[in-house]
Amino acid sequence: MKLGFILGEVGSGLRRNLSMVVSVVLVTFISLTFVGTAALMQMQITQMKGYWYDKVQVAIYLCGEHNEGTNCAEGAVTEGQRGEIESMLGSAAVKPYVENFEYESKEQALTHFREQFDNSSMSETVTADQLPESFRVSLVDPEKYQIIKELFSSMDGVDVVVDQRELLEKIFSIINIASFVAIGIAGVMILCAVLLVGTTIRLSAYLRRRETGIMRLVGASKSSLQLPFVLEGVISALIGALLASGVLWAAVRFLIDDKLALEYKDTAFISTGEVFMVAPWLILLGVVLAGVSSLVTLRRYLKV
Amino acid sequence: MIRFENVTMVYDQKSRLGSENARPGLDDVTIEIDRGDFAFLVGASGSGKSTFLRLILREIVATGGSVHVAGQNVARIPSWRVPKLRRGIGVVFQDFRLLPQKNVFENVAFAMQVVGESRSAIRDHVPEVLKLVGLEGKEKRQPDELSGGEQQRVAIARAIANKPQILLADEPTGNLDPATSVGIMNVLDRINQNGTTVIMATHDDGIVNSMRRRVVELSLGKIMRDESAGEYTSMIPVINQDGTRELRQADHSTWQKPSTGNQAFAPFDTEDDMP
Ligand SMILES: Nc1ncnc2c1ncn2[C@@H]1O[C@H](COP(=O)(O)OP(=O)(O)OP(=O)(O)O)[C@@H](O)[C@H]1O
Ligand SMILES: [Mg+2]
Repeated sequence: MKLGFILGEVGSGLRRNLSMVVSVVLVTFISLTFVGTAALMQMQITQMKGYWYDKVQVAIYLCGEHNEGTNCAEGAVTEGQRGEIESMLGSAAVKPYVENFEYESKEQALTHFREQFDNSSMSETVTADQLPESFRVSLVDPEKYQIIKELFSSMDGVDVVVDQRELLEKIFSIINIASFVAIGIAGVMILCAVLLVGTTIRLSAYLRRRETGIMRLVGASKSSLQLPFVLEGVISALIGALLASGVLWAAVRFLIDDKLALEYKDTAFISTGEVFMVAPWLILLGVVLAGVSSLVTLRRYLKV
Repeated sequence: MIRFENVTMVYDQKSRLGSENARPGLDDVTIEIDRGDFAFLVGASGSGKSTFLRLILREIVATGGSVHVAGQNVARIPSWRVPKLRRGIGVVFQDFRLLPQKNVFENVAFAMQVVGESRSAIRDHVPEVLKLVGLEGKEKRQPDELSGGEQQRVAIARAIANKPQILLADEPTGNLDPATSVGIMNVLDRINQNGTTVIMATHDDGIVNSMRRRVVELSLGKIMRDESAGEYTSMIPVINQDGTRELRQADHSTWQKPSTGNQAFAPFDTEDDMP
């Protein structure tokens, strides 16, 4: 069987069945967009965890020049205050809770910041003075955060004690819920897509029963009988998957890269690179689902 | 070339078990058709002619006995090899079955494309086949620009495009007037003379009587008659006064002019009259 002949058959099938093909394209497009969104949200979580999760559980931010915290009335933290906080962290009362801690100066904060946002323009506009110095404390048991907070919040020179883990958890759980919702919608939509591919192939087989009847009689092999139909489903799904990838890319490019990442400078965001990791899987998923769905349909409606 | 051994074809086995009045499409048929034969299959509507042809094509598989085509038991051919069997068999139908969007050349070429012939082989062979069926110069016509006889010639050309050893024709002249039918029969005869085995199911008595070829008559799925140079019929159904029905040797005085007591009717009208 010649490729050109098969492609000709596929072309005529797509033309004759155009409205059904368009609906398959749209449904796969929407369902894969949801799948992709869920995947990207999970990648966003991983991205954030990768940078922060293990590094820091509690940050004790020290007073800067212009802080308004209750303990910051005297302006920036002094050398002595910093020493007191440090020795407090090493004291017998606190030691059992602390796994390790380290001091992060303004310069180090800036370095970290730059590492995190190395590809965005804003890292150049931030200076070391804008970032607070801090002690980064890892806890033996993150649940005991409250004890550290009580001990340090009232100390002179401490601006605020932040359990970054708690903050992150909150964000993660929101993203997680959103991605589960997306997966749920995607599941229903994928079911629709699979059924629709089946219906479309069935209709297409019906519309072309003359050709297939003749093909059978003159001894067309099973594969050459079925391939045009399978390709019809697969090509529609492929177009849908490409559209979905395109939309995800545009969303990340224009909503995250150009907006969110600029507004929330201290957060790590996914970028278009992640879309290029997700897209091949979306395409594979669409193609496999459409292929399997059309083969199953053909087993029933196009006997050799 | 083709051998039927005690072939029985029961279409709906479940209903047969359930009810008595279902009868097999073919019932214990044994027959052999040699390479190069030209055989007519005749018999009333529903007697099993199409069933016979479909068994050869393995569109259906016999429920009893075995069908051998070119030495192979077709029931034993694995389904992925069935296309290969069909490439050796050409088929023609009463309703032509051309592809309306394709012109004459493309319709014939389609059969060759399907089995993967090269473009140059198609370009060389299709005109030859069209010449054989008498359609030179009409390559570019669409099917709806052809007469019924010409359309059937295209269908025959398509059936023989892949040089099959066997040509099956199921009432190929059923939609054509007598003169056109003769033309089609000449084409089939020519194909047969080139060595192709031809089996033709037909209701056309004029053709059968004038061709003087082998005639196999089926009735209710059984072979009634197998003559090497036969006529369309030697038997006619007769209804007796008491309503019973029987087959009698054709007696022209009886059926041309029904005598009192027996009412007979011509065999070609049986489609409407028989239940
Ligand atoms: N697909 C089928 N399912 C069930 N019964 C069938 C099927 N095809 C044919 N039959 C039955 O088998 C018997 C033989 O049918 P067949 O089509 O072989 O007759 P035929 O001789 O070709 O008739 P005609 O001259 O009208 O074409 C008939 O009783 C018919 O009802
Ligand atoms: Mg028939």
